[in-house]
Amino acid sequence: MVTDGVYVYAILRAGTALPKGLGGVGSPPAPVRTIGQGPLDAVVSDAPPELRARRRDLLAHQELLMRLADEGPVLPMRFGMVAPDEKTVLEQLAAAESRHAAALEQLAGRFEINVKALPAQNALAALVAEEKDVRRLRDAARRRPGYEASIRLGEAVTTALTRRAAAAGRRMVRELTPGARAVAAGPTVPGCALNMSFLVDRGDTDTFLTRARAFADAHREHVELRLAGPLPCYSFVSSEARPVPVGGV
Amino acid sequence: MTATTYYSDEVVACPPRSGTLYDVLELILDRGMVIDVFIRVSLVGIEILKVDARIVVASVDTYLRFAEACNRLDLERDSGSTTVPELFGGGAAKAVGKRKVRRAADTVGETVRKVVGGGDEESDDEDEGEDEQQERPRKRRAPARKSSRRRVEA
Repeated sequence: MVTDGVYVYAILRAGTALPKGLGGVGSPPAPVRTIGQGPLDAVVSDAPPELRARRRDLLAHQELLMRLADEGPVLPMRFGMVAPDEKTVLEQLAAAESRHAAALEQLAGRFEINVKALPAQNALAALVAEEKDVRRLRDAARRRPGYEASIRLGEAVTTALTRRAAAAGRRMVRELTPGARAVAAGPTVPGCALNMSFLVDRGDTDTFLTRARAFADAHREHVELRLAGPLPCYSFVSSEARPVPVGGV
Repeated sequence: MTATTYYSDEVVACPPRSGTLYDVLELILDRGMVIDVFIRVSLVGIEILKVDARIVVASVDTYLRFAEACNRLDLERDSGSTTVPELFGGGAAKAVGKRKVRRAADTVGETVRKVVGGGDEESDDEDEGEDEQQERPRKRRAPARKSSRRRVEA
């Protein structure tokens, strides 16, 4: 087991209690422990041999981070971070202590809320009513049905669905940004017109979600919004995904 | 004060969907902290790892979604307003309502195919099949756990 290395889940303030009854990655789930010296701890377990992004392992990673985030600020690691041994982890904690501590300070009491904008596939009637091009092609396809006509119509519908979702997504970002501390664009997701994460104060998460739901309700003929959160702040720790600073906060 | 974590299946404005991991998958795989001195599952290329995960997670979530959609079907009402040929794709479904019914019909077809001819897929990749077997009971209990556990005490 030791030769497979140490799986690292998160970095957090020393003394943060580990949630009970939750295992880590691997089958059976590896026991989770904290290691550290000084003001920071790392949450780790033995890395299972041949670790892959299995569903159960992804769930274990996510569940543990969710529970840790309930206890206090965490720096969530990306899935699959494995250190050769505990010594390496401890050295890293010591070497980057001030940077990690500052990041934890910044995230204290804040959560990530992720919003995805998807084409409103259930609102075809509205689309046909509002999009002139689609209506024209639909009429044409009815007059002269056939494969070509269907392809052209279907293509126009797909394009219009995506365009409407993206536009509504941008409106959503404008409307919700004032309720957030920071905003970060998420990775591209197939089928998703817009993927955005918001850093929100704990006390504001309910209001934020309520507003997001109200927006989704009001724009259901243009976009399907999918909300996830409050989450650990995945999008606000990575060096690659620098959060976009929000003016005035 | 408490803040509870919501996933989209609790969001009234959005179509319910039981898959929750899928919604945060790209964050778990593409965001989060990276530390150079740690190796990131180096034996498998990260791109392969991502594709791998997306396929497995997506298919399980799709099964769960279909199952949920099936359970919600109001067969009494639907059968009153829709003839069987219509239900199974005869003629274009014009109204949005009918489109939903057709979706459900597809769902039934899908599920039946899984039950009847599921042998191939399972032997395709025994490893993942085993994963899903293990996940099913766990997933079923998930909603209850989520609402009780995922709370943030302020």
